[in-house]
Amino acid sequence: MSFLLSCPGCGERNVDEFRFGGEVTARPEPDAAFERWAGYLYSRKNVAGVSREWWNHRYGCGRWFQALRDSTVNQVRETFWP
Amino acid sequence: MAKRDVNARLPEGPGELIDRARPVEFMFGGRKVSALQGDTVASALHASGVTTLSRGFKYHRPRGLLCAAGRCPNCLVNVDGTPNVRACTQPVKPGMNVRHQNAWPTLKWDALSVLDRLGWLLPVGFYYKALHRPRLLWKLARGVIRRVGGLGRIDIRDNHENGYRHKNVHTGVAVVGGGPAGTAAAIAAAKHGAEVTLIDDQPILGGSLRFSQFEPGGPESKAAAGTAEGLAKEAAETPGIRVMTGAAVFAFYQDNLLGVLSGRDLVKLRAKQVVMAAGSFETPLLFENNDLPGVMLCSAAQRLVRQYRIRPGRRAVLAASNDGGYAAALDLLAAGVEVAAVLDSRPGSSRPPETTRALEAAGVPVLAEHVVEKAIGRGKLRGVTVRPLGGREPSQRRKFRCDLLCTSGDLQQADGLLYQAGAQREHDPESGLPMGWKLPPGVHAAGDVTGPQSLAAALLQGRLAGLEAAQSLGRESASLREEIDDTRRRLDAAQESHDAEDGIEYVRNSPAGKRKFVCFCEDVTVKDISVAVAEGFDDIQLLKRYSTATMGPCQGKMCHKALVGLCAHFTNRSVASTGATTARPPLQPIPLAALAGPSHVPMKRSPMDRIHRDLGAVMVEAGPWQRAHSYGSPNEECLAVRRQVGMIDVSTLGKLDVRGSGAGALLDRVYTHRFSNLRVGRIRYGLLCSDDGTIMDDGTVSRLADDHYFVTTTTGNVDLVEEWLKWWSIGQDVSVHVNNVTSDYAAVNVAGPYARQTLSKLTKVDLSPGAFRYMRFARGEIAGIPAMFLRIGFVGETGWEVHVPAEYGESLWEAVMEAGSEFGIRPFGLEAQRVLRLEKKHLIVGQDTDAVSNPLESDVGWVVRFDKQDFIGRGSLRAISERGLRNRLVGFVMSDGVTPYDGAAVVSGGAPVGRVTSARHSPATGKGFGLAWVPVEMAVEGSRIDIVVAGKTVPAAVTHQPVYDPDGKRLRE
Repeated sequence: MSFLLSCPGCGERNVDEFRFGGEVTARPEPDAAFERWAGYLYSRKNVAGVSREWWNHRYGCGRWFQALRDSTVNQVRETFWP
Repeated sequence: MAKRDVNARLPEGPGELIDRARPVEFMFGGRKVSALQGDTVASALHASGVTTLSRGFKYHRPRGLLCAAGRCPNCLVNVDGTPNVRACTQPVKPGMNVRHQNAWPTLKWDALSVLDRLGWLLPVGFYYKALHRPRLLWKLARGVIRRVGGLGRIDIRDNHENGYRHKNVHTGVAVVGGGPAGTAAAIAAAKHGAEVTLIDDQPILGGSLRFSQFEPGGPESKAAAGTAEGLAKEAAETPGIRVMTGAAVFAFYQDNLLGVLSGRDLVKLRAKQVVMAAGSFETPLLFENNDLPGVMLCSAAQRLVRQYRIRPGRRAVLAASNDGGYAAALDLLAAGVEVAAVLDSRPGSSRPPETTRALEAAGVPVLAEHVVEKAIGRGKLRGVTVRPLGGREPSQRRKFRCDLLCTSGDLQQADGLLYQAGAQREHDPESGLPMGWKLPPGVHAAGDVTGPQSLAAALLQGRLAGLEAAQSLGRESASLREEIDDTRRRLDAAQESHDAEDGIEYVRNSPAGKRKFVCFCEDVTVKDISVAVAEGFDDIQLLKRYSTATMGPCQGKMCHKALVGLCAHFTNRSVASTGATTARPPLQPIPLAALAGPSHVPMKRSPMDRIHRDLGAVMVEAGPWQRAHSYGSPNEECLAVRRQVGMIDVSTLGKLDVRGSGAGALLDRVYTHRFSNLRVGRIRYGLLCSDDGTIMDDGTVSRLADDHYFVTTTTGNVDLVEEWLKWWSIGQDVSVHVNNVTSDYAAVNVAGPYARQTLSKLTKVDLSPGAFRYMRFARGEIAGIPAMFLRIGFVGETGWEVHVPAEYGESLWEAVMEAGSEFGIRPFGLEAQRVLRLEKKHLIVGQDTDAVSNPLESDVGWVVRFDKQDFIGRGSLRAISERGLRNRLVGFVMSDGVTPYDGAAVVSGGAPVGRVTSARHSPATGKGFGLAWVPVEMAVEGSRIDIVVAGKTVPAAVTHQPVYDPDGKRLRE
């Protein structure tokens, strides 16, 4: 239901204060092949393990940061500014 | 009347919860019941002779008080319209209306009790096996089962403003359970500076010490009430402890978040450390008719005696598989109950010597290695038959007359929260017997939840847990370390080795018989379990689901141990290898209303809100905002804009202030259009796509200075756009700041042939056609207020969006209304704006577009600049344009006066091929018109499409032109 997430600026808060921004992905170059764009848009790794994610402290400072979260135990290992 | 005498209150005693000076009256089943302040509904009913409180779930057998502690399902009643309230924990209130459940016509004469005789028709899992053929039979049966099934009725006419609140509370140490161990833990942690929250589901702290006359160990120890009182007093006097009594912890979520229901508060309690000291539950014994009213747990009888001063019966038999029966026998004797016999089912003689001696001195026969075979009586207990363990001969059977049978089966650890927390029970690898707990970090356990303890050991365990919790909080000190070492030493000395028991003995020892209920909630019998296992459901998880045992309101508190024991017994396995069912939240039923909480709908009001209301506007929700839908006549409002001048409050538009040397580059990157080449003082329409090429939002972008843009967004999307701009500015090696200034500005759009004259009366800014052209921006004063003027044309007339500091909103409105009065100015609302913009074929994001609409198909391809090197959505839009368009958003005009609804289907050859997104009646042409998605081959000027209106297809003609002022002359004038 609810776990704790540490905003690099504001510290540990309920996850309800944040917006999840999905996996950190690499955006292809503008003229990359459509296959690469399709992969970037629609394919996620969804790893069972440590996943690197975007989070936004929506109800706090409003800043985006990244987190390393172990999806198998839902434990946030580290959070940092991008 | 004799009954009343039996249940009359006993003389005052230590630890009683009732206030004899304050009588309370309430209604039960239409009858007035006298009670005392401090009574629960169940205790008051017992005191007035009512022993049947409910009817069983499946067989509708009468049920009476069983646990008296808010755990079992036997006393569920309807209180003032709220179903499934536990009578045994619900305090009495004057005038409350209590009604029985699950019985018709009356609790005493329940028509459905016939099901008890027809039990052979309803074997375990009958709905999986029977009534399936012929198929019609199931349809009929289903209706009956649905009517008969379930527990309690919700009054759908009830006012659902339930008054539940949600609270977020943070604490250093949360202690679950206010018995001796928990209270000791709270005191120890608080003394070392921790902020402690101590939670117990009973009305007062003290746990089992509150219902027993003596401390565990019998009459040779101190009076329990004194010990409990001492602990409660110390907890109250120790600074830093917040005590929550009458509060149920129903869930443990990640990172030590506890769900606590306390009255009408749902508390989300976030603790740095948690001490689990929830103790254990006494469980019922398994024998024939073990559900008869008059059969109750020893602790229930003790609670009635000690806390409510009620004599629970006249003549009692006690049966136990632990020491609980002995202690309860002494309590009953002291309350003047005649004790016919005390039975101990344990093989070998492990009875407590002192207590046994005291009982025998009082002339009570103590029968070792004896079990109850059967409870006798119809509707209420009249006697029991007992026999020695393993004695199957009829001659070995003995019968006792009694109206009270107190039972105490094996203690079941209240370990549900520990399991939810991820704790694991460790078993002795050789014997398979339970040993201790492997606890996750931040979680401690103390007291009976870790296994049966002596009082001394429980207190020391609690203290140790409290100290260790304080230590984990960083309250490190030499004295703390010393105290921990000392407590550990004393605990090692105090802990007696208890014979670990695994619950299988008491299952094996239970004699054969009918109607031996394992699960009181779902009316599951021992026979049901054996049948289910024989049918192959021999895994504990499957057995649970198939038999539904442990799945009722008690959530296994009364039956989990028995279920595991029976499963092990019938499958010839050990208890350890049988396992346990998964403990999930909620640990006990809690009202959905409590989870839902109050409906806090965040509401924003425009700075001119009061004016709209004074004008009698119909207000509607627009995102979080309240906006004026109309001021009476959208039609006349439209005409005023077209012929004279109108004004609409657009303060709710999202407004972003984007600054920095990289501002232009950021907007170029995020919007499909180009803004870095926008000249200062000019405005461009902006469309925002996500990288899959779908439209996210639109608005205008004004360049105020080289490094300063003013961006508007749609009313509901400003937070999204703000987050989006900030996200895409990350990692760009440029300086840019995005500020949400939505609430800083009040804004109006003044539009119509007389807009220029109206505004010119109020400002020195030159608004003449040559000086202030379409899509231009200027700063100036209006009615003495500093303002921004944006000449745009959403509604298709000459007009300006005027933004002023929010606090001048009302002044601006009033000044413009006054200036425009000579030109016939009218305020217009959202509905008029929707019609006006529709006549101009201007789309509304979210109304005419959805999550898969792209700009090329939405007919706004002109703002997509493929010549820009990159922007968000470019890759996908390039792919779409190469692939070719499939659908298009087009205008249409109906062939006659009918107007379709928004959302009406566009059909072709009888199949839907598109849909109307917006449609209105045009006062000018007398025809219906609007916007619709159609396949690209139909998106040809003048081609005919068929739209479903009121069940009929009506032809319409496609048009790419706005129905009003197609050349856009008027908005440029």
